[in-house]
Amino acid sequence: MAFRKIDIDALEEDAFGEDEIEFQEIGELRPLSDVEAEVNSRAQEVRSLLQRGNTSGALTTALQNPPYGAPYHAAKARNTQTVMEAVISVKVVDMAQVAKGLSPEEQDVLMKYLYAGMAAPEQYNSGHLLSFHEKLTEVAGQGCIVRVITDRRTV
Amino acid sequence: MSNTLRPYLNAVRQTLTAAMCLENFSSQVAERHNKPEVEVGTSKEVLLNPVVISRNDKERVLIETSVNSLRVSIAIKQADEIERILAHKFTRFLTQRAESFVILRRKPIEGYDISFLITNAHTEQMYKHKLVDFIIQFMEEVDKEISEMKLSLNARARIVSESYLSQFN
Repeated sequence: MAFRKIDIDALEEDAFGEDEIEFQEIGELRPLSDVEAEVNSRAQEVRSLLQRGNTSGALTTALQNPPYGAPYHAAKARNTQTVMEAVISVKVVDMAQVAKGLSPEEQDVLMKYLYAGMAAPEQYNSGHLLSFHEKLTEVAGQGCIVRVITDRRTV
Repeated sequence: MSNTLRPYLNAVRQTLTAAMCLENFSSQVAERHNKPEVEVGTSKEVLLNPVVISRNDKERVLIETSVNSLRVSIAIKQADEIERILAHKFTRFLTQRAESFVILRRKPIEGYDISFLITNAHTEQMYKHKLVDFIIQFMEEVDKEISEMKLSLNARARIVSESYLSQFN
């Protein structure tokens, strides 16, 4: 019965593949070097804002224009690190205030990064992310989580 | 309840509630079939992003969603060898009686200790908030259960060794 295990639909010329789903959501991909340069310069900007003690400013900057799309593994990991640096510097008492200050789009992006951070507990402090998640859900509602689960533009 | 357990369970509850929007959906591959898409994985477009919620690197929950089914996998805290054995025995006991738990999956996903599979049929038969409550309650109870079993096991081992060694007195 081994022939039944072969996915004949995937062999078809116009099969609906993963890259097509992604293309529908993201559109034309930008050159890899552009994306990496942008991510790196943003990391520097966020770090300098953090040194000046401007945590909410650093967080908003970190959440701008995140890299979407499969080819940007390295840039995605780098950007997650940048966002996590900004997230960790937000104190627990300020979280609700900071979450309220973000626009709905930024809240969705932040929620994506919170889940991305929680997926790597050996790297990032889950306890801090969990309390931020709680505060952000209070502000942005469950729609925010639904958008993370359904959005093909993963971080 | 310790101070990281509450936000952890809260995050799982919120995510489950958000993810549990299931509808009847027939297979796109085989006619007149209706199977949980998250299990068969034949059509990529009906699978949603899986999310992981972790409390620390040992305890985490994986939630995979699709259009008509939802899979929740839980990794239970296992600090030492005894806890690992107890957790294994406990989850094995439950999964062997999976049909009486309705939503329990017979085999856990790799890397996790126990999995639940919720389909649209379950959400139609049962209240959504009760399903979420059940999973949250399970997560609360399982830690308690295992630490209790560990204590009684240690107490028993102590009594046994005492009575054994007393004959050499």
